[in-house]
Amino acid sequence: MNDMDYQAHSQAFERIKTAREALTDCNFCPRQCGIDRTAGEKGYCGLDDTVRCFLEMLYYGEESELVPSHQIHFTGCNLRCEFCVVAEWNEEPLVAEEMDFDDMAKRIAHRHSKGAKTLNFLGGEPAVNLHGVLELISRVDSEIRVVWNSNMYYNDIVDKLMAGLVDVYLADFKCGNNNCAEFLLGANNYIEVVKRNILKAAKHADVIIRHVVIPGHSECCLKPIFEWLTTEIPEVKLSLRGNYVPPIPVTSAPAEYLEPDDMQSAVDLAKNMGLKLVK
Amino acid sequence: MKNKPYKRKPGDFEIRILNSGKVVMIMPDETLMEIAQIIEPDNCALPPKMEIKEDVGSQTSQTK
Repeated sequence: MNDMDYQAHSQAFERIKTAREALTDCNFCPRQCGIDRTAGEKGYCGLDDTVRCFLEMLYYGEESELVPSHQIHFTGCNLRCEFCVVAEWNEEPLVAEEMDFDDMAKRIAHRHSKGAKTLNFLGGEPAVNLHGVLELISRVDSEIRVVWNSNMYYNDIVDKLMAGLVDVYLADFKCGNNNCAEFLLGANNYIEVVKRNILKAAKHADVIIRHVVIPGHSECCLKPIFEWLTTEIPEVKLSLRGNYVPPIPVTSAPAEYLEPDDMQSAVDLAKNMGLKLVK
Repeated sequence: MKNKPYKRKPGDFEIRILNSGKVVMIMPDETLMEIAQIIEPDNCALPPKMEIKEDVGSQTSQTK
């Protein structure tokens, strides 16, 4: 951890205060709901000011440099990806038990002592649980490597309050154009927001771009993402995932699984474009 | 038989068996991961030994 990171960690309590104040007029993400979560109001993500976790586990399926990774899955998300495998927790985020920060901090310490290489905040979406993430970071050893496992669809306040506290941004770049993003994720201005946040993240810490290859979205999504990466951040690590799972029932998302040939084509294209693939 | 397919609810686990015989576990917890490892120790997509393969017989998915 460098000096800036130590400084950021020592500011965690101040940042919690800022985040909690921001909950009274919540604009953590581009939905800009402007509601008072501290008064029990719920915006697009369905969350009030409580922080809830539906799963914490040691996981070996993240990128090899991160595993074993201690995942903290928060409920609530600001996207509505039909193919999300935890969509049920995002549709009903308040069903999960409220997080006891002190208890979770103990679990984090225990997992770390047992060999967890990283502490992985994901969801749902960590950005809409910003105050909860900061509460946990303030309670854990500053030497623990923090992974921000996010859809990157958030406003500047999130970037500012997390700067210096994250060791690896595991940035999910889902769609390569706004039409697909609106159709598949229910997000407006997705491309502009995500690109902006990825570039900012790259100034703060290490970044791994993760892209789940979506069947039938090679020309419209995969290629434009690769082209942008090649132009803007050619040295960034790229993790391609072939584990797309079609939703049941399906309405907007592709209904088929990814074919092995399609995955191979994506890998070949990334290699041919000089991108740095990681597993 | 119900007309509409069952939609997962919070707390549900979902395991799919595809026509190809491939088994897909959706958002497995640690217990299900261990079961996947026992069922297909050589082909589990995300085993504790981190052998990530691109074309495998079973799949665990955290696709979000």
